[in-house]
Amino acid sequence: MSAQTSDTPTPDDVLAAEYVLGLLEGDDWQAAKGRAAVDSNFAARVQAWETRLSPLNDMYEDADAPDRVLTQIEAQLFPTLPPKTGRSWLLGLVSGTAIAAVLTLALMVWNVSPPPAGPMLQAELVAADRDLVVQAQFDIADAQLRITLRGQDAGAGLDYELWVIDESEIPRSLGVVRGAELAVGAELAAGQVLAVSLEPAGGSPTGLPTGAVLAVAELGNS
Amino acid sequence: MNRQKGRALVADDDIAPILGRITRQDKTALRALYNKAGPKLMGILMRMLGNRPDAEDALQDVMIKIWTRAAAFDPGKGTGMAWICAITRNHALDCLRASRPARLQTRTAGIDTGDGLDDPISRLPDPTPGAEEQSLARAEMQRVVACMKELPKDRATALQGAYLQGLSYQDLASRFDVPINTMRTWLRRALITLRECLDK
Repeated sequence: MSAQTSDTPTPDDVLAAEYVLGLLEGDDWQAAKGRAAVDSNFAARVQAWETRLSPLNDMYEDADAPDRVLTQIEAQLFPTLPPKTGRSWLLGLVSGTAIAAVLTLALMVWNVSPPPAGPMLQAELVAADRDLVVQAQFDIADAQLRITLRGQDAGAGLDYELWVIDESEIPRSLGVVRGAELAVGAELAAGQVLAVSLEPAGGSPTGLPTGAVLAVAELGNS
Repeated sequence: MNRQKGRALVADDDIAPILGRITRQDKTALRALYNKAGPKLMGILMRMLGNRPDAEDALQDVMIKIWTRAAAFDPGKGTGMAWICAITRNHALDCLRASRPARLQTRTAGIDTGDGLDDPISRLPDPTPGAEEQSLARAEMQRVVACMKELPKDRATALQGAYLQGLSYQDLASRFDVPINTMRTWLRRALITLRECLDK
């Protein structure tokens, strides 16, 4: 195996194996998963175990994968009907509860919002699985996106990252969200979708969301 | 079984280029991936989640994850098939751990009926002699089988129950009727032995 993991097994190495096998539950599982996402040394150990054990994948027998499922996947990834941005693409990434929360929220926002008072777009992103609310308000006149964040910190070695998804369906980073309030220059339009994901400190290393997508919401007229 | 294994190994070599097409946003690559790997991924999800509706839902999520993460695939660290299988197993484990309370009783009850756990080593398919391109995968498979056979049989059985079905320490402790700490001690030792054997 790779040089960096060919040393004597350490507690970390055993933990990586336990994680890959699926022996862990609850907080232990979540903690190992979090480390694998942000600790490259631990992630390398995880990958080494995945490779070591991968021959066991031959023990899984093939099962029928219906065309119907492929059609649903294509509909999610490449929505063709009303070119309503990549919302369906993103909803595929968040849990059902998050979707429900977003839909409920969207209704609430539309019901409560006063009639459009100025050239503003806004979105409120509420995470279903943690205490986190991100409010985004885009001032069309000065092309500034103002963001306020309430709730728990991203955690040690982690950052929240804000994304916008337009018709191209490819998320574009608006930057890492730290602190309670900030403003960034941006080019945004109504109907685009904002999303917050949990990323390694400093933001996604790949330029695309790599961690859990915590919340999504569509930018709408205020 | 041999024919099936042959297909799986050929598919191994085909997945990496498809992942490359996905990173270039080639939409036809999605269908190519589904046709090549769908049955294997579905097999993993059926085995781990235990029912078709959940497995089909999970397959959708997994395919979308692969689509969005394909750029992170590193061919230097394993085959494309191993990479997408790891994503699939990980997703299934997420599903299992999230639905934990509702699942606990049915899963531990189901294990006593066997479900492939009684003699897992014998279930490892015999490597198929033949095509040149299969030799590397065959050698790896033989190595894992050989190393598993060096472990006490119940430890090997438990490790495979974890890998194949996502059984946790708690599930396995119930299945083997030992305290969870005993199961932890067994398997941690077994993992160290296994790694020493595999990395030799």
